[in-house]
Amino acid sequence: MIDFSAYGVKTPEVKAVKCPSCGKLHYPAPMICNKCGERRDPSGVIFKHWETVSLSGECTLLAWTRVYALPDGLDMQYLLFGIVEFPNGLRASGRLEVDQPVTGMKVNARAETMDNSKGKEFDGLIFGDL
Amino acid sequence: MRNVSIVGIGHTVFGNLSDFDLVDVMAFASGNALDDAGIREDRKIIEQVFVANMGGGIINHQTGIASSLVSRMDMEPAMAELVENGPASGASAVKLGYMAIASGMVDVVMVTGGELMRSVTGWEGTDFVASLLHPEAEYNYGLTLPAYGGMFTRIYMERYGLTERDLGLIAVKDHQNGAKNPFAHVRVPCTIEAIHDSENAHVINNYVAEPLRMYGMCPVSDGAASLILCAEDSPKMKYFTKQTPIRITGIGSATDTHCVHNRKDPLVLDAVRLAAERAYAMAGLKAEDISFAELHDAFVILELAISEEVGFFERGKSAEALRNGVTAIDGAKPINTSGGLKSKGHPVGATGVSQVFELVKQLRGQAEKEGRQVKNAKHGMAVNFGGFGNNVVAVICSRRDA
Ligand SMILES: [Zn+2]
Repeated sequence: MIDFSAYGVKTPEVKAVKCPSCGKLHYPAPMICNKCGERRDPSGVIFKHWETVSLSGECTLLAWTRVYALPDGLDMQYLLFGIVEFPNGLRASGRLEVDQPVTGMKVNARAETMDNSKGKEFDGLIFGDL
Repeated sequence: MRNVSIVGIGHTVFGNLSDFDLVDVMAFASGNALDDAGIREDRKIIEQVFVANMGGGIINHQTGIASSLVSRMDMEPAMAELVENGPASGASAVKLGYMAIASGMVDVVMVTGGELMRSVTGWEGTDFVASLLHPEAEYNYGLTLPAYGGMFTRIYMERYGLTERDLGLIAVKDHQNGAKNPFAHVRVPCTIEAIHDSENAHVINNYVAEPLRMYGMCPVSDGAASLILCAEDSPKMKYFTKQTPIRITGIGSATDTHCVHNRKDPLVLDAVRLAAERAYAMAGLKAEDISFAELHDAFVILELAISEEVGFFERGKSAEALRNGVTAIDGAKPINTSGGLKSKGHPVGATGVSQVFELVKQLRGQAEKEGRQVKNAKHGMAVNFGGFGNNVVAVICSRRDA
């Protein structure tokens, strides 16, 4: 295995969080757990952060659309978007990369470093074929 | 609490006003409302001004808009604040105007909502509205409000058997109403043949966010609307003899999860239901008491979903009511008599104020001369939908003799 950290390359990752006191999962990170009221720093900069859980793998496509009305800066004819549900119950929105999307199909979520419409890099989710 | 009535209404035409200054556009509507209320020299009786606007700071590079409007209208030293609550800014400003009077702090309030969105490209406009989404979990991806409108529409179609033709019928109804509204942006009727039934329909009605097509989305519009509110127990009511005062009988608002994906059922709009329930409770009314409604159809599917959520129809049954003409102006429950956002247009900060403007017009009986009067209109409801349902404001207005 190649250790990319030696070259300063970061593996793309989208993190959900887990409440250390009740175990409830959240995405994106809140300030207050909606199950038990535990309070943590969503940024992890000022005080203690939540436990983190990597968001990836098999999930179910709950909704999808092909959108032609994109924000300024995304010079594409259209993009496919979807909302998925992971086996642990967490849900997330992201870009969809399958040829024939069908509501309810199983897809594979992976994290990739991409640019937002303002050219800012971020690690986001892509839902592709299994 | 004190009773609060709307004693003056103003509206600019909705459409492309990009040659004008944002505050000038708001001033046109405000002046119109003062004239309607019968105030000219006495404008200093207005003690508080609330201005609704979402994007002045972003797309027009203008801030401090409320103070600017007061000065342009020679209304100093009235108190003035800007209200930004996304696309529900307008009804939020109406709510704050109501609260300022009901609390006893002031007697007369002017509420003006306005937006200039056509001075930027469609992509920039879409991007500006998308800035209300969650930055990390939604906006970053290039997700937009139309994207959520499209996903919502697909789930609704798959669950309730709604068809693309049904979506077209909403547009046909809204355009029929909007064609008669002198303030509407797109005053052109459309037929179901042109936008759906014809084999060439897709040429003028292409997909924007599948399965939503062009005629499933509101246009991008500029415009403003304005209201003058007065406490019914105030001696200042004596100034307002020109029009029949229309009472604000119920106001409610509610919030929901910022991220759409975090709702238990993506088709359930909790904030809409709660806002309506709170407004009904305050007014002492039920869904069946409402004579007509203005519902936030930025995407036509929302007209159906909101009408079910506020209790007009059972879940999944609103399309049947639409097909049967129940929601037409001469139907049992007219919806979007103004043309709705679909035909009248959606200058975001103006929309909630414009919806209440339409309620007042119908309740006064002044839509008659435009040939779109709701018969026996007693109670009207407006639902102003912010975010993708994460902040919703409902307003009920009533005739005082109802
Ligand atoms: Zn917890």
